[in-house]
Order: sequence, then structure tokens, then C-alpha cells
Amino acid sequence: MSFKKRGMNDRRQNLWGWILISPLVMGLTLWVVFPMGLSIFTSMTRWDMISKPEFVGFQNYIEIFTKDELFLKSIRNTVYFTLLSVPMQMLVALMGALLLNSSINGKGVFRTIFYLPSLIPIVVSSIMWLWMYNHQYGLINFFLNNLGLDKVKWIDSTEMVIPSLSIMNIWNIGNVIVIFLAGLQGIPDDLMEAVEIDGGNSWHKFHFVILPLLSPIILYNMIVSLIKCLQLFVEPYIMTNGGPVNSSLSFVLHIYNNAFKYGKMGMANAMAWVLFILTMFISLIIFKTSDQWTYYEGDKK
Amino acid sequence: MRKLVFVFISVLLFFSGTALFAEGKADTSDKTVLTYVYWGSPAEDKAIKNALSAFEGAHPGITVEPMYLPGDLDGSTYNAKMKALAASGKLPDVGYFRPEEFGNYAEKDFFLKLDDLIARDNMDKTYIPQTWLKIEGNTYGAYTAAECQVMWYNKDVLKEAGVPLPPTDYTKAWTWDQFVDYLKMITIDTNGKHPGESGFDSGNVARYGVSYDLWSAMYYPSVWSNGGGIISEDGKSVLLDKPETIEAFQNISDLMNVYNVMPLMSGGTNISPSIMMANKQLGFWVTGQWTLLELGAMKNLNLGVAALPIMKKPAQIYLSGVNVVFNSSKNPEEAWELQKWMMNPEKTLDLYTSGLWMPTKESFYSSEADLAKWLDNDVHPEGYREAVVNSMKISVNEPIKIRNINQIWGDYLNAAVESIWIGKSSAKDALTEAAEKIRKSGLLQGTY
Repeated sequence: MSFKKRGMNDRRQNLWGWILISPLVMGLTLWVVFPMGLSIFTSMTRWDMISKPEFVGFQNYIEIFTKDELFLKSIRNTVYFTLLSVPMQMLVALMGALLLNSSINGKGVFRTIFYLPSLIPIVVSSIMWLWMYNHQYGLINFFLNNLGLDKVKWIDSTEMVIPSLSIMNIWNIGNVIVIFLAGLQGIPDDLMEAVEIDGGNSWHKFHFVILPLLSPIILYNMIVSLIKCLQLFVEPYIMTNGGPVNSSLSFVLHIYNNAFKYGKMGMANAMAWVLFILTMFISLIIFKTSDQWTYYEGDKK
Repeated sequence: MRKLVFVFISVLLFFSGTALFAEGKADTSDKTVLTYVYWGSPAEDKAIKNALSAFEGAHPGITVEPMYLPGDLDGSTYNAKMKALAASGKLPDVGYFRPEEFGNYAEKDFFLKLDDLIARDNMDKTYIPQTWLKIEGNTYGAYTAAECQVMWYNKDVLKEAGVPLPPTDYTKAWTWDQFVDYLKMITIDTNGKHPGESGFDSGNVARYGVSYDLWSAMYYPSVWSNGGGIISEDGKSVLLDKPETIEAFQNISDLMNVYNVMPLMSGGTNISPSIMMANKQLGFWVTGQWTLLELGAMKNLNLGVAALPIMKKPAQIYLSGVNVVFNSSKNPEEAWELQKWMMNPEKTLDLYTSGLWMPTKESFYSSEADLAKWLDNDVHPEGYREAVVNSMKISVNEPIKIRNINQIWGDYLNAAVESIWIGKSSAKDALTEAAEKIRKSGLLQGTY
């Protein structure tokens, strides 16, 4: 094969490569890159969607940090929710996955039961939980009351509303469990046998084999969960409308209000970019510190 | 090979092209198609669809496509949808519009100017003056109906509790203190104890005295009745921290947090008061008069209507959705015809006899024959005319022309009022703080 010919071939192969990925490239350009560019532009304007945008430079970004009373509050609510939810979700999902990985009868049924809530549209489950949390007639308070305990104001008190939403969020961890399960299935049996031969019990298996081998999966789930939690929107929007007294006003709900309720599209876009940077920053920190506690097979430490 | 690539790329371009430049389906029929946009409960949806069909029947050349947007209470979903339609140039022809956004859009020329049409069709004489909505002297819309606040009650509950039936004359209603005393008589816990008796269990109430709808427009009558205000009419000053306003809010809060005669607010959602009332779990319900559509259909509910309790003087609010013809409509004449049809009680009598709306046409208040047309039926309880229809004489329009009123409510007022309702802070503290914040916020920019 001559040199020249190979060049032709290469070029042809490149062309085919481009042709084959063109639908994806088009889609990404049209639906991701272009809207992001537009959003950057919009974030530097004052625009109510029904008249011409007026360019204001970085004014919106400055106002978020200087004038917006609810910015800090909504960030605090969102971070509080995330700090509560992510560890709780990881813990419960890992326990669930371990249970579903054990050799019990009817494993398939349990797997289905654990995954079912994730199939329910979030709007529907929000309304369902709204009723369960109802102070006066809710299912949860009904049980508490029958046990002789006091009724709790779940989503009707400023202190309990974010924890309530966190508890509700555990309900949707089907996906996380499935990924953990896949990771557990990938753990070689010979390692487990080795622990048994050395006289180790279940705890040793978990501590010395499962956790280290699962750590990359934990990292992945953690990041995904974190991004989801920082984008908390539907539950407060449907259940509490950010109340009572703005104590469940999540950052994305605040963005929504500004965009669609108050007609401040420019301000809302600027806030969205602030959220983007914040999320990236937190994810980066977790990534950078993850070397300390994740273990990849074949790693040399 | 090269041909194949060419074909492949052409196909791709074709598909992306059609996706990008696909416009709505071309209208090939010679019929005029109008889109009518509206919100409301499922029952209201049905009533509107019937009225639109009747219009089609009377105008063979016109087809009306209903665009029903099931709304939420504060209309933010509807507003969001309207903004999206406006931004993408796909606004409907005619229909409902949210009152608090009306001025904003009218100012930006989204609506058809109606003055000439009104004059041409002699509409200004035949409708009550509050109907027409003007911005800077030009009429851009009409209130859909005349709507206000009412107090319903379940007669059987009052009889069981030994409470006398309330007055229906809006000028001679119960005083606030009388009202609270009667509410205590109605309220009982599961052991049959009343508020104030020893051993009363506020966590397990079997029957409540009253339920107030808790959203912005429903606060005004109480506040006005006490001589207070929220934002001044010119949109430039805050009246929220006036003692009269504070007292009015505190009065309603006390119903929940001091006297336990009203269900606590629960996430903005509770069991619907209409259901509670039908189940005899509730005596009184203070809400909008349009709920009669639902209540009138409940056959086993012995419904009564009372004059609103008076704090210092009688007060009433005039509120409604707005009806507009959009400037972008290709058939403004036909759209105006449809709007006139929807405004004419003769054509859409069901909307009035069913209890959903009160008319805006003047003769339906002044002529006995016309009054009988919409009031003489099983739906409207006895005394409706004295308690509700007559109270419209003193009604004050909902202040919808104040700039930024949406954000003032959304960012400041709702939170302040919620903290009063859940008993977290007193009306005095919450409203004083909110008033200060609103003054500093730079949102007070006058009116449209």
C-alpha cells in the first residue's frame, strides 16, 4: 500500500466518521450548544420575553449578589437539601442493593418493588406525598396519631419542610440501586471465597472487598445524585410553592419564578449560569478528592 | 460511494430542514378558525365548551378551537404559557387573560384596541362601567364576568350546632366578634368538646367553623372592611403596616392559631372545603362566588349564603379574569364577535344560571325580568341577591394595574402572610418587615 493511497483511505474513513456522527453533532449544536450561547447572551440583557431585549452587560450578575434578597436563602435551602439527601440516598441505596444481591427467594419481586417508584412520574408522586404529609388528614400523621405520638407538621413548618422533601426523595432511588447492583454483580466470587478461607465474616467481606471495589460506582452515583439534588424543582413547585415563608424555595424554583412569573428572563439566565458554575465547582472538588477513597483495580498507590 | 454519501447528506438535510421550518398545518378550508384560550375547573371547561359550540352553531362560517389551560390558583402556569406563546408568535385569537399581567401586555400593544368597536356596537351603555379595562384612556379588555367574595354555609351544620342563620343583607352582617363566637359553637373535636373548653384537642377536630381561601385577592375584602390597604391605588406607597391592615390579618390568623376554628394551612392544599362542607366537617366557607358551580351541583348539600362578616364597614371586591382580543389575530372582526357572544348573558345563560359567573350586562342587575333569568333556579340559594348581587354596589376593583404586583406578592407578601398563617410570627412583625423590604426593593413604580 503506497503512502498516498493510505492518505486517501484515511480521508475517506474520516469522512465516513463525520457522516455517521453528523446526526448527533447536529442535534447537539441545535439543542445544546446554540441554546447555551443564547442563554449567555440573554443573561446579559434585561428581557421580559414580550418586548425587545435590552443589553445591560454584567448588571444581572451584580444584582444577584447585591440586590436579590432570596438568592442566598434559596441557595441555602438547596445546599441543605443536598447535604441531607445525598448521604441518605447513598446509604439506603447501598443497603437496598446489598439486600437484593443476597441469595433470598423472590429476589425478582423485591427488585421490581424497589424500582417501581422510579417509574411513577415525579408530579404524581409529589401529589401523593402531599396527601401523605397533610397535617390534618395525612397517612403518616394518622399512623403517628394511632401510635399515640403527636402529629408532625411535615411540609407546613419552616423547620421540617426540607427534611420532608429529603425523605420523600429516598423514594426515587431505583436507578441508584440498579447501578449499585450492577457493580455488586461485577465483584469476583474468588475474592469473597478468599475472605471466607481466611476466616472472615460478612462484615469483613463488606469492609475489605465490597466497599473498595464499589468505590468508583459510589463516586459516580454521588456525583449524579448531587447534580440532581442541586436541581431540586418539581417537588417544591408542586407541593409547597417554595413555602412556608420561602423555606423550601429551591434555587431552580427561584430561577423559574424570575423567568416565568416576574418576566425577568435575563436575570433568570444569569442565575442559571451561577448554578452551573456552582455545580461544576462542587463536582470538581469531589472529583479531585476522590483519589483518597476510590480504588480502581490495577491502580498502583 | 460518493453518490451514497450525497444521498445520505441530502436526506439528513431534508429532515432537519423540515423539522426547523415546519410551520403549523396550512389552513385549506374556507372556514375561519378562531382559537379561544381559557382556564378554569373541569366544570368551567365544560360550560365554556358548550358556549363555544353554541357560537359555532349560530355562525356557520366560523370554527372555534378551545385552548383549555387548567390553571393553578395564582395563575403562574397560565402566565408562563402566555409568555411562551407570545415569544414564539403563536398567541390565540381571543380569550381569557390573567388580570395581573393585563397592564404589562396592554402597554406593549398585544391587545386589540376596543374603543371604536364598543362605540360602533353600543356596548358602553349596556354594560356596567366596571366591565371595561382601560390603560391610558384606551380600552384593551373587558372583565369576563362580575365576580366577588362570598360566604357559603351548610344549613344543617348550623342547625346542629344551634347557631342562628346569618343575615343576608350585606349592610347588616354579623360583626367579627359575633362571627367568632358562632364559629366556636360550630367547632368540635372528636370528643365533642368546643374550643375554649378544658380538654379540647386542637389536633383532632371533627368539625371546623370556617375555612377562608388564602390567596391574594381573597384578603382584600377583610382588609378593606377594617379600613386597611395593601399597596396604595397609585402603586407608589405601601399601606401594609397600617394598624388596620395588621389587625385584619391578625383576625384571620387567630381563627387558625388562637381559636382553632379554621383548618391549618397545609402546603397550600387541604381537603377541598366544598367536600368538607358537604361532609358536615365545616360550617362556613369564605371563597369566590364561582365555587357555586361546584356547590350547586351537590344535591345533598343544604347550601346557604351569608353576608360577609363586617370588621368595621361592609366591603366587597370586584375581581375576574380579563377577556381580550389579541392584536395578532388574523380575524379581529370574528374574534370580537366571539368575545361579544361570551359577554352576552342571553347567549351563554348556562354560565350564569349554573353559578359560575355573574353578568356584566347592566340590565341583568336592574331589570326584574332579567334578574329572574339568572337567579331563579335551584342553584342560587335564598338570599343570594341581598348578600352577593347587591354587595356589588360597594365593590372595589382588584388593584391589578400596579406595576410589579406579581413580584411584590411573590417575593415579599406571600412569605410574610404565610408566616402569619402558620403562627410563626405576629401580623405586626411580619407585615412591618415586609413593608420595609418592599419600600427598599425599588419595585414600587406606580401603575400602568
